[in-house]
Amino acid sequence: MNTNSNVYTVVYTTFVVVAVAAVLALTATKLRPAQDANAKAETLRQMMSAAQIKPTDELYATRNADILQLYADHIAEAYTIGLDGRRNGTLSTEKARIELVDKLKPQDKAIKDGTEATLPVYVFNNGVTVIPVYGAGLWGPVWGYVAFQPDRRTIAGVYFDHESETPGLGAKIKDEAWFREKFIGKTVGFGSAPLFNLAKNAEAGGSPNAVDAITGATMTSKGLGDALNVWFKAYENHLTATEEE
Amino acid sequence: MDKKLKETILNPILKGNPITVLILGICSSLAVTVQLKGALVMALSVIIVTGLSSLICSLLRNSIPMRVRIIVQLVVVAMMVILVDQILKAGEGTYAIDKQLSVYIGLIITNCIVMGRIEAFALGNKPIPSLLDGLANGVGYGLILIIVAFFRELLGSGTLFGLRVLPAGYVPNNLVILPPFALILLGCIIWVHRAFDKDLQEK
Repeated sequence: MNTNSNVYTVVYTTFVVVAVAAVLALTATKLRPAQDANAKAETLRQMMSAAQIKPTDELYATRNADILQLYADHIAEAYTIGLDGRRNGTLSTEKARIELVDKLKPQDKAIKDGTEATLPVYVFNNGVTVIPVYGAGLWGPVWGYVAFQPDRRTIAGVYFDHESETPGLGAKIKDEAWFREKFIGKTVGFGSAPLFNLAKNAEAGGSPNAVDAITGATMTSKGLGDALNVWFKAYENHLTATEEE
Repeated sequence: MDKKLKETILNPILKGNPITVLILGICSSLAVTVQLKGALVMALSVIIVTGLSSLICSLLRNSIPMRVRIIVQLVVVAMMVILVDQILKAGEGTYAIDKQLSVYIGLIITNCIVMGRIEAFALGNKPIPSLLDGLANGVGYGLILIIVAFFRELLGSGTLFGLRVLPAGYVPNNLVILPPFALILLGCIIWVHRAFDKDLQEK
């Protein structure tokens, strides 16, 4: 057969591409549940790291099933709020069907557009309240979890993550424990502006809501600072309101 | 084992090593060698991708239209890379490593070793030798990756596979963690390799 004719070439490439697409579609569907379970456990690890349930290293050495159990044991309640700060939903905390709002991108869009949002709030047994933050870093999204003391404005712990920030520079927001520890004890300036100041030499001013940016990672730090401010603003009404039970 | 097959397997590991002799795949060897665990997973992924892509392309070699052969090869390699990435993401133990390797698993597709072996070997040889050639080139690549990662993790973090081996008083060397040090190490490996193999020395 003439393998160089136009018809053969078109039919052949079409066949190869369709066959490859079928193989990939099949694997993606088959592996999806396992991948989702991994992603969920990862989110829980980050939240519990922020909430100081256990040291980060220990959480990452714990198996997925035990992470679910640990979360179920330590969570008091989880619910969602709208942009007005009022509750608009409940998230299940039972071990078998833990519900999370871990798709933060659509929520970030909802905050910025002012449309209907379901922002998650996780309250743990030890009294801390964990909320997510999400924004744009230098190369891709950055996000994280911020845990508040029972006064709901003093930071008890944070955990940040990113998709593709530069290793050794922007990636420090995730890799370096000292960066996370800088946030502990800081207070969000609810009612003033900016709510939180993540910038060069910010700590020198001595204000309680300031953390120094990372050297050599200006854009990542700026993106993270914006993420903190946008999301703190969205939660401001809820976190500053007196318990509305 | 006949001589030719033996040559196919041993050549890419020693005399024709893709990294130290052909200087291919340098990019990823700088990026993923900070820790041994990541380097090992990367090495295994590349071995699987080069081996199976060569096998598939060799099976198809008589039917591929010559004018579009590069595109067909690319589709096959891309499929293998995505499969490896998806499987790593699905495994409980490998999920964290996949996150750490981030884009570099996907970038195996741009690793010249994979396409290079398909073009140079798999298209002109039977499936079994092609599979072995692909696997051996992956091993040659992985071996260097692991040597580099061994020194970088040992001197840069004082650990091996995440376990502390140097005493706690050891101050980690930050230069070792940064990418340029991988190049320096690679240069040293090439030096040692050439010193032992007189055939590689240029007159």
